[in-house]
Amino acid sequence: MNPYAPAVAWQSRAILGRHVRVHLRNWYIAALPPICEPLIMLLAFGVGLGSQIERIVWRGADVTYLSYLAPGILAYTAFMSAFFQALFAAYIRMHFQKSWEGQLTTQVRLEHVVWGEALWAATLGTSYAVLVCVVLAGFSLAGSLPLHWEWLPLALPLLFLAALAFASVGLYFTAILPSMDHMSLPFFLVIMPLGFASSTYFPLPDNAILAAVVQVNPLHHLAEGLRCLLLTGTPTYHLPAAAALCTLMLAALIPLDMRLLRKRVFGDG
Amino acid sequence: MTTAAMTGAPGGLLLEARGLVKSLGGKRVVDGVDLTCAPGEVLGLLGPNGAGKTTALRMCYGFLRPDAGRIAIAGHDLAADGDRARRSLGVCTQDDTYDSDFSVRGNLVQTARYFRPRIPDLGRRIDDLLRRFGLDEFAGHKPETLSGGYRRRLMIARAVVHSPRLVFLDEPTTGLDPQARVAVWELISGLRAAGMGVVLTTHYMDEAERLSDRLLVLQNGTVRAAGAAKAVLGDVVGDHVVVLPRDDPRAPQVAAWLGARGTAASPVLANWHIALDGPGLAAFVSAFPDLRYEVRAPTLDDLFTTLAAEERR
Repeated sequence: MNPYAPAVAWQSRAILGRHVRVHLRNWYIAALPPICEPLIMLLAFGVGLGSQIERIVWRGADVTYLSYLAPGILAYTAFMSAFFQALFAAYIRMHFQKSWEGQLTTQVRLEHVVWGEALWAATLGTSYAVLVCVVLAGFSLAGSLPLHWEWLPLALPLLFLAALAFASVGLYFTAILPSMDHMSLPFFLVIMPLGFASSTYFPLPDNAILAAVVQVNPLHHLAEGLRCLLLTGTPTYHLPAAAALCTLMLAALIPLDMRLLRKRVFGDG
Repeated sequence: MTTAAMTGAPGGLLLEARGLVKSLGGKRVVDGVDLTCAPGEVLGLLGPNGAGKTTALRMCYGFLRPDAGRIAIAGHDLAADGDRARRSLGVCTQDDTYDSDFSVRGNLVQTARYFRPRIPDLGRRIDDLLRRFGLDEFAGHKPETLSGGYRRRLMIARAVVHSPRLVFLDEPTTGLDPQARVAVWELISGLRAAGMGVVLTTHYMDEAERLSDRLLVLQNGTVRAAGAAKAVLGDVVGDHVVVLPRDDPRAPQVAAWLGARGTAASPVLANWHIALDGPGLAAFVSAFPDLRYEVRAPTLDDLFTTLAAEERR
């Protein structure tokens, strides 16, 4: 069976709708972290650390640290929110709440649950990124963050794709981690190194090995692509590179997630 | 209209499972089991722990894929026409698998959203279910605030929210107090009276006897006996049960006598339970004319004791 076809099935939308309904009931609580976290990051690093650094050299040009950081935070928010949702929240629904089992006794099948979870994580990650844009717009209005906002419609679908790809990473760990106690491992061993080797927070040092490694890091391309787009208004090869790597991740991980989760949920496989 | 036409299934069967085989973790858990259930019939699935009841049930409602065999629900092949087959069945799992993010009413609404075609006039259907299942006063409560009995009612209400024709109930009364069990029994009787097929697993023998029209006893993944309760007891246990204190001075002689006949007594607390058919009882009486013991008709509890003793042997 084609593992990608259920992405557009009504059952996957029903699962997505379930998560949206639960989330919207507490929207005022749920919206706090995506507003507060980038705000704190931008104030602490962009404004606080930025006042010490003042200007950094990026692609041969002087930019403020706040300007450098802002597009990176956008990328960081989308991928991190989606990853966490697909890891912690999905694990809780699968293991503790047993709501997956309840869904699977209906016309919903496991592939719909997997796609529903991934689509929800991506939707959440993208909507959090939109909230970050609202925060960034505040800085823009205050005159401290000049951005090319006209390119935002191009950035959002890419952020959704990246969030979807990292949701599939989260679901992979949901499938293989034996307990909640092990959940810090993918964060410290995979996500943090990916995040720091992505030019989200600082320009990467001029090192040939590192330069080669970051070519396969979708976050590097996403952060750098968004930076070029929003700071200079120039689309670069980083955007299709990020899209290609994220598509590759999805193509490889979604069937693997389904196989591993089948074994995990049904004890079968 | 014929029964077959009403159910949309050949022979009028709502469940027709043939030759089910399933291995889990390298062990064959279900091995060539057939299951059928007709409209308005309650099929009781019995057997000791590990007999394969839940695995067989999970295959029938599409949770597990059989390694071999075929399953049809109301005439729809579960493998080839899964959506229609699943639309015709409802499931109450052994564990509480309601959605704890929703209220009692919200659970019914959300479960209904997992079915197509959509349930017509859903609001009225849910009001009706809440009333019938005695859940109306808790409609706005979170399920975890309900007592065990009311949680099971919610689980059964979820299983039938889309008006299925066949419902699977996996140990629906486990852990309930007697009053709550009777309330669930009444609900199950109501489902049967409405023409629904019910497949039930239980460890409670009185429950199986009271509710089931037909029993199917599984042992080590195969069907050990099937039919009406009395016939199943006769096949597996025998016609009589002799109850003898274990500390009786002649107990070793009885054990030797049973051993010579290729059988054994089942220890139950301070007694031995010895299952015998008519000629066997006559031979026992002749062999031990002075022995004091009780003879009674077998119950389904004896069935479990006998199966457990067979497995030990």
